[in-house]
Amino acid sequence: MKQTEGVVTIVQEGRFQLSDDAGVSHLFILSHAASGEPQQLETLQRRQSRVRVRYRPARNVIGLIAEAIDLLEPAKSEDARQ
Amino acid sequence: MNVHPRSLDYDQSSLDRVIPNESELTAGVVIEPGRSYGFFTDTTVCIGCKACEVACKEWNNLPADNLGLTGESYDNTGALSANTWRHVSFIERSGAGGVRDNAQAPFQSGWLMMSDVCKHCHNAPCLEACPTGALFKTEFDTVVVQQDICNGCGYCVPACPFGVVDINTLDGKAHKCTLCYDRLKGGLEPACAKSCPTDSIQFGELSDLQQRAQTRLEQLHARGVTNAYLYGAPGGPGATGGLEHLNAFFLLTERPEIYNLPVAPTRPANRVAGSLAAGLAAVAGLTLLAFLLKE
Repeated sequence: MKQTEGVVTIVQEGRFQLSDDAGVSHLFILSHAASGEPQQLETLQRRQSRVRVRYRPARNVIGLIAEAIDLLEPAKSEDARQ
Repeated sequence: MNVHPRSLDYDQSSLDRVIPNESELTAGVVIEPGRSYGFFTDTTVCIGCKACEVACKEWNNLPADNLGLTGESYDNTGALSANTWRHVSFIERSGAGGVRDNAQAPFQSGWLMMSDVCKHCHNAPCLEACPTGALFKTEFDTVVVQQDICNGCGYCVPACPFGVVDINTLDGKAHKCTLCYDRLKGGLEPACAKSCPTDSIQFGELSDLQQRAQTRLEQLHARGVTNAYLYGAPGGPGATGGLEHLNAFFLLTERPEIYNLPVAPTRPANRVAGSLAAGLAAVAGLTLLAFLLKE
């Protein structure tokens, strides 16, 4: 399975945009088989956490299916440090 | 040109914060919880630019789908779906005798264009069919799917008389237009209405929109467009079968089916009593038959 790293910049329902190190944005749809839930994405976006996303391509859609999201570093914001 | 007096307070090209109650400047309405909001789509001024489709996809982070050519004129999205919450229909209507007719009707381009969307029905059948309560009425009288509660059962899909709600097979949940619920909460006009260059899509308080639509209808009738009518306004076509009225209603100039809209949409709940009686009668009949065969 392919993987990429970056920061979650936009979240809408179970869809999120990940900006990678090159500044390229990728659109992901959280798979129904993923262990996370859509409401957890918002926290990742708010804390600007660095994550690794394992994904597979989607058929007939310009987007990728996120199968797993791993947190790579401690969160930066104040509420995350608490 | 009418400019809202508050606009003068924001003359910079880049702002360091969101404008409070921005919808007052862009749509002339202050968004407040407890009131009914919706869309009035005047199809006579739609130019088929698809700005609404793009704005919707951009704001809601929706992926492009249905890749390839549909083979249906300039339509590339095909229909409303889990990933397409605004769909601009292109209907070729050259002349009175169909697309091969050489004679054009006066003041008519030969194309009908309409930006279709979830109707946010007053008595929403999708909401009535939802067993988990994932579909709910917001404080703005709109209908939204809560993603954390939706279990993907799909009951809402056949319940919708307009074929709007759709299940995304990738995340297994139901999706449809939220009438930009997050934007409304932030005092912003929905993305599609804000991007519409001809004001074919108008956002506002429902009673105000219905009044505006009636005025526009009378104006069109006076100009000789006698076939214009409102679809989804109270008491009119589209607001049938117990739906009462649609929060997203349309001004059309052709029969509803030309725009791929149902002529007389109904709530499936209206048919529950009849269906239950038919089911019970069938069971009773089969039991009687089995009893007679046994004898």
